[in-house]
Amino acid sequence: MSFFGFDPAIPRGGGHPDKAPGFGAAPDPFAGISQHQGTGYEDEDAIDFDDTYDGLGDQLDETNDDLNDATFGGIEATTSTLSKPVGKDFDFHGQTAKVSNVINEEQFRYNRQHVSRKPQNLMKQTRPFKTGYEAYENPDYIPDLQVDVSSKGQTRTASGNVQASQSSSILSAVPQAAPAAAPARKMMSLEEVETAMRAQPKKSASVLTTQGRQQSQTMTYPNIPSAHAQHPLNVQSQSSAPVNLPPQQLSYQRASQNRVPLIPQQVLQAELPGQSVPNTARPGDAPQAQQRSQMIQQSSSQESAPHRQILQNPKRQSAQLAPRPPEPPLPPPQQQPRVFTTGAMGASQQLPIITHPQQLMQLSEEDRNAFLLEDAKRAKRNHKIYMLSRNNGLMTPQDKNFITRIQLQQLMTATGNTVEQDPDAVLSEDFYYQVTSQIRGGARQNPQQPLSNFAQTYLFQTGSRHGGPGRRQNRGGDNHMQRMEMQVQRAVEAAKAKPKNKQLVIEGSLGKISFSNAKTPKPLLNIKRNDSHDRPQSAGRQATSRKVLPAKLSISGRKSILRNIEAVYSTLMKMEDHERRLPAAPANEEQMSVAHHAWQEVMESLGQKLWDDLKVMDPIVEESSILHPFIAFLSYPKGKKAIPRIFRLLDEEKRLTILTMIVVHLNILDVIQNVQPGASGFRPSLVAREEVELFSQTVMPSLFAYVNEAPLQIVIGLLGLIVSRADMQVVLRTKVGLNILTMLLSRAELVKQSQNPSDQEWNQWVNLYNRFFDVIEPMLGIIFPGSVHDGQEMYVWQFLAATGIGANPDQQQRLVVAVKDRVMETVVQSKTLPPDMASQRLADVNLFMRAIGLDVDLLG
Amino acid sequence: MLFFSFFKTLVDQEVVVELKNDISIKGTLKSVDQYLNIKLDDIGVLEEVRYPHMSSVKNVFIRGSVVRYVHLPAAAVDTALLEDATRREAEQQATKPR
Repeated sequence: MSFFGFDPAIPRGGGHPDKAPGFGAAPDPFAGISQHQGTGYEDEDAIDFDDTYDGLGDQLDETNDDLNDATFGGIEATTSTLSKPVGKDFDFHGQTAKVSNVINEEQFRYNRQHVSRKPQNLMKQTRPFKTGYEAYENPDYIPDLQVDVSSKGQTRTASGNVQASQSSSILSAVPQAAPAAAPARKMMSLEEVETAMRAQPKKSASVLTTQGRQQSQTMTYPNIPSAHAQHPLNVQSQSSAPVNLPPQQLSYQRASQNRVPLIPQQVLQAELPGQSVPNTARPGDAPQAQQRSQMIQQSSSQESAPHRQILQNPKRQSAQLAPRPPEPPLPPPQQQPRVFTTGAMGASQQLPIITHPQQLMQLSEEDRNAFLLEDAKRAKRNHKIYMLSRNNGLMTPQDKNFITRIQLQQLMTATGNTVEQDPDAVLSEDFYYQVTSQIRGGARQNPQQPLSNFAQTYLFQTGSRHGGPGRRQNRGGDNHMQRMEMQVQRAVEAAKAKPKNKQLVIEGSLGKISFSNAKTPKPLLNIKRNDSHDRPQSAGRQATSRKVLPAKLSISGRKSILRNIEAVYSTLMKMEDHERRLPAAPANEEQMSVAHHAWQEVMESLGQKLWDDLKVMDPIVEESSILHPFIAFLSYPKGKKAIPRIFRLLDEEKRLTILTMIVVHLNILDVIQNVQPGASGFRPSLVAREEVELFSQTVMPSLFAYVNEAPLQIVIGLLGLIVSRADMQVVLRTKVGLNILTMLLSRAELVKQSQNPSDQEWNQWVNLYNRFFDVIEPMLGIIFPGSVHDGQEMYVWQFLAATGIGANPDQQQRLVVAVKDRVMETVVQSKTLPPDMASQRLADVNLFMRAIGLDVDLLG
Repeated sequence: MLFFSFFKTLVDQEVVVELKNDISIKGTLKSVDQYLNIKLDDIGVLEEVRYPHMSSVKNVFIRGSVVRYVHLPAAAVDTALLEDATRREAEQQATKPR
């Protein structure tokens, strides 16, 4: 094994392959647990090593080693280690000793973390034959200088205050004195145990396990140096007495002893008296009795004691932590209780308190089994607790407080002063998310709620976790909650009181340093904007760009239009916000008049502002090169998109005004001007087509909605405007133009059918229609876009249908003549198309044909 | 906060995050925070061949500062609303005391 550079001495139990004779012979209630905790690290390690050492090394093919010398330069050592005793020149241990130091340290460290895994099986029957010197038979054995802390704890507590009073000068003398005092009243020496064991070898096999465990408690520290080993009796006597201490007590006492923190060597010395002192002190027995009673007290709450203590008894915890020696930290307090509970738990289970193996012996078989089972369960539970609480105590309550405060502070600044913030502010902070999730039917009904109640939510969560399923609903938990609440409140107060210092300006630096918080991650540089710089720059840009684009709108014009649009939007949003704030329906009229009046006033003023922003009423300058502001407004996509929202908020009159504006400027609307087919089959640009699409989707429905309610007079007026003012040739060749005409014509037809307009009105309409028909008739040939193959002409057929319905027979005749060719072409072409497309095309044509009392089928 | 607010709405959508080191990672957006750190699930690297070491990675946490672009699913973006949100944000910035 040393082949791999391991010091075989290190796995302390491992050196004794006879570690558990008879252990497996009897039913071992700890078999399952022993893996986790029943065995010590060393022991575990030993098992692993022996079990896993599958003898592969022995199977190595050694036969062809003859050439090794040639290969490896005649180094005999490699082979000789296997076959011959190690020569003196090969200072193996000397070298590995260095390693073993490290390993020892590691081991110690590990032990500290896993103290609960007490070595327990080591002792057994082999123990009595040990002198304690075994380790030293190994010439290179290096005693573990770090005294095993657990034994320290035990001795310390056992000796308790008694020891504290003893001066350390005694200490060196004590080892000699110890044996004399050794025979403890209640203790059974190992020899006695042995005898008992031999007396009933079979029955007690399982008992032995327990016994062994208890004994091994203290005995598995063979490397507690000589003083320990010199007095085996002492060791034995120690075995059970100190075991019964709850960890709190351990540490408590340790804390109460006004001892200076010990460095390991000192500890080592101190340990020696520690082991013997209990014996000398025992005659008085005061400490022990005291301990026992405490133990019983605590036995009921034992299972959660170790970590609950840590959680909830900060004072005690800190007291315990305070005197901690600098480099060898104490064992985590929860490591001891398992041993101790062996006895203690029994009390709560109506089983006798077993503090000594002998007591176990005296029990009946049943009781013993019950006890052992109990013990196993307990051990399991303790182990679980230990696993859960492994890192308990890493942070002091102060640390936790501090962290909590930071977190809360962060929360407070993150959401600002949630208490003072009105929901609108929160909404605007997170507008997109809130609204989107509402639109999509998100989970939150009230978008403000989770945010404004952030602190409470946070608290509530921790609270529910604390309240747990009935387990820890004790006073301590409540206190904890209350403390948290208090803290939150205080944090809120503090955050409120604290003036917000968001930036730090260092003198002479260019920018400011901003502090980040959760809401506004730190802007790296915040350079003060200089307003005076703005103007000349933009002026310069204007000048240059004007040169470049003389034909287009000047940048300033474009800029001002865009600014207008933004102004409209901002007013629009204010109105929409204000709309949401409509006071709830009040109980009585009086309240209504007050609250609603105020609301109404604001709404009206905003509406007026919106109207002004739209600039619809700006004077129309004929033949001006400058586009009317409203038409310019409509020439931008976002202007178009605003229309439906604006229309909703405007009254009838203003809607009509807008409609009139559009109709009057039909010629120069971008959606009409930019899609004029050129001479040679010009296809409008993609952008222009998209604009048309957008216009049809946004503006047209609003206009439709209005016209669909409009009286005939208005329809007459609008059509009259178009006929008299617009350039029909331009209008007719565009989709938007035709759509508007269709809209008006069909409305007139609907009015005629449903409302029975007066003869005068109707005559007026017919006259207008006749004029209109005369104007469009010569142009009917050019209204179709592109060739017949394009299939983008449904709106044309719609227009023709609307025209045809209102036409008199003579006009219908002329209409048919004008578009006859196209009809025929479409019918012919549809025969070459797949059925669904063909029927679509024919249906389009039929719109028109049916309007004048025909059908494409007749043409078939 | 606009971006944060925006990205929150994309949770559970599939996005492509292009990093400043040219790796493009496609995955389901699991969460985003105010630093625009991003958590992705079920990820795949667009150029598997170039970054084979990423092929076994199933989910990632991306620090916001290393993101160059996030390719959005167009369908999941409400443009009009986003425009409005932008206006609000701008308004807030303007009215905020500097």
